[in-house]
Amino acid sequence: MSAEMLSKLVNLLSFAALGLTILLIIRTRLEGQVQAFALQSVVLALLAVLIAVYSGSVELFGVGVALAVVKVVIIPRVLNRAVAKIGLSRVAAPYLSTAPALIICALLTIIAFYVMTPIAASNPLPTADAMPLAFASVLIGFFIMVNRRRAVTQILGFLMLENGIFLLALLATYGVPFIVEMGVFLDVLVAVLIMEVFVYHIKDNFDSIDVGELGKLKE
Amino acid sequence: MILLTLLLIPLMAAALIALTRRRAIMELLHAVTAIAVLGAGGAIAVHVWNGEVLVAAVLFRVDALSALMVIIITFLGAIASLYAVGYIRAELDETHLPRVRLFFSLFHLFLFTMLVAVTTDNLGVMWVAIEGTTLATVFLVNLRRTRTSLEAAYKYLILSSVGIALAFIGTALVYYAGAARAGEIAANWSALRAAAGSLDSDVMRLAFVFIIIGYGTKAGLAPMHTWLPDAHSEAPAPISALMSGVLLNVGLYAMLRFKAVVDVSLGPEFAARLLIGVGLLSLLVAAAFLVRQRNYKRMLAYSSVEHMGIICLGLGFGGYWGIFGALFHVVNHALAKSLLFIVSGNILLKYHSAEIDDVRGLLHAAPWTGALFLAGMLALIGLPPFAPFVSEFIIFRAGVESYPWTAAVGVLLLVIVFGGMLASVNRMLYGDSPAELGRGDTLRFWLAPLALNFALLIVLGLTLPSPFEAALKQVLQVLGV
Repeated sequence: MSAEMLSKLVNLLSFAALGLTILLIIRTRLEGQVQAFALQSVVLALLAVLIAVYSGSVELFGVGVALAVVKVVIIPRVLNRAVAKIGLSRVAAPYLSTAPALIICALLTIIAFYVMTPIAASNPLPTADAMPLAFASVLIGFFIMVNRRRAVTQILGFLMLENGIFLLALLATYGVPFIVEMGVFLDVLVAVLIMEVFVYHIKDNFDSIDVGELGKLKE
Repeated sequence: MILLTLLLIPLMAAALIALTRRRAIMELLHAVTAIAVLGAGGAIAVHVWNGEVLVAAVLFRVDALSALMVIIITFLGAIASLYAVGYIRAELDETHLPRVRLFFSLFHLFLFTMLVAVTTDNLGVMWVAIEGTTLATVFLVNLRRTRTSLEAAYKYLILSSVGIALAFIGTALVYYAGAARAGEIAANWSALRAAAGSLDSDVMRLAFVFIIIGYGTKAGLAPMHTWLPDAHSEAPAPISALMSGVLLNVGLYAMLRFKAVVDVSLGPEFAARLLIGVGLLSLLVAAAFLVRQRNYKRMLAYSSVEHMGIICLGLGFGGYWGIFGALFHVVNHALAKSLLFIVSGNILLKYHSAEIDDVRGLLHAAPWTGALFLAGMLALIGLPPFAPFVSEFIIFRAGVESYPWTAAVGVLLLVIVFGGMLASVNRMLYGDSPAELGRGDTLRFWLAPLALNFALLIVLGLTLPSPFEAALKQVLQVLGV
């Protein structure tokens, strides 16, 4: 595979990953949102494997496989279980509705290009061109966390943010060292499991999973 | 070898306690572990302060800065763990055995994650461990399982996770800047430090902003502090003591590691301005909330925001004395704040309320608790002869030379905090205690270890023992000051 070919493929897949982050905003059912996350993780795993093959890195290949196991199989299952258990899947009330949210996404993407393009320009790797896309994905994931009230959607926003960071590191330096990447997967997995427990606790205590209800602690 | 022992003891203890059925055995394992970890930590510190740098298993490296953190973690870990036995007996009876097990097990997992964070040389592993500290403590914050503790724990989990995710962007960017120079080992702080002069300055600038926001969230700096008053006030007292006195410093430690690299690649001005900015803002926010605080645990929590701000100011003022004062203040704040949070547990057990208005006549109703609370508060607000006075003095003395106006504003804010907190303490200590309470301290015997905190606060306030000064000087050398 030539560097040019890789660069094109990486751009395409990164674009798809960003698109899936934005899809999370458009989708209103929780199952659909979980699906968007799972799909994005598939794209990332593909990217990791692709770059691993290009650079001949066995470790990166392992990272891709681990990512697929944790983020395509296990975490979506946990989330779907939570959605089924709390019995709520309708519109996840955001603070901002879809249209203004999409305008903010566009703005965040522009900011991402503004910040990242100069940094990517000095990077010799063929994957560097897509770095602004990854950064946009990070910023939009952040925005989703702030904008959504549902605990489950906040978790998804967190996961999208995490995915965006993984993508950024992958594009910038072919990923951080293997042991770190594995540690990050472990942390994310444990975090999601803990968050799942909290979704149940919140549901039991407040009879809703609207985190806007959480407002007792003040000053 | 001793380094790996230090890490393995708490990890194994956490696993063993999780498998234990009898409460007495859990408590025994818990206490023995805490003392053993302190022993290992002390041994490591002695090695390092004799000029060695301990290295183990590629990932771990302990220099003087790490050693200082190890001592703070293991010492206060031991103090809090002894009190925790008594406190948990009072809070959770035999019907709550699973929660008792969870508490003791997570306590040591918490110590383990902090120890990994400060002993690893790999900045990625440090990140993993610091995220681990959040995950280990979130159920501890929610130990009481009330609505308010649930809310506090959820906020803590989400906000800290997001904050730390931003720190990971910073870490990845630094790795990217370093990989161009040093290859795969660029994730190691020591390699980065060596190559710091040749790193891409645009990347480092962006990275450090993310680091300040990310690890600043863990360090409880404004405006990323919003989770802190909730989590620190809802957690059980021994955990509050460790979260406020120790965990915040782990966040600061991470910032310090990056600062040491950034100072070389960008010059000291860049990091200094950012640190002064967040430091001053933290002081301002804390002062605003401390003036009329109604809950004494929240008061202590906001005071942590204040003191983290003071430490950042010291780091920002820079120079030999600014940094020296900041490190000294890290130690003093840790000693005073852990003492106060533990004492606050005693007050809570006695009065069954965390509201300042409900606590009256503390000195009369619980003399030992009241006296320790008074001593701790006087130390915390910076009165001589206690050590925080000396470190604050050193910090602002350094500030007068480099940033006089900022230092003046900082001192003014300190005075406001001083007045606000003193008024609250006054209301709690004197007056008539509710008649039905009776006299006597709830857990008097369990307060005994705090005598060590108290003694150290006095000793460090009156003299600067030469081994301690030498240790701080070594840390300054590590930081390149």
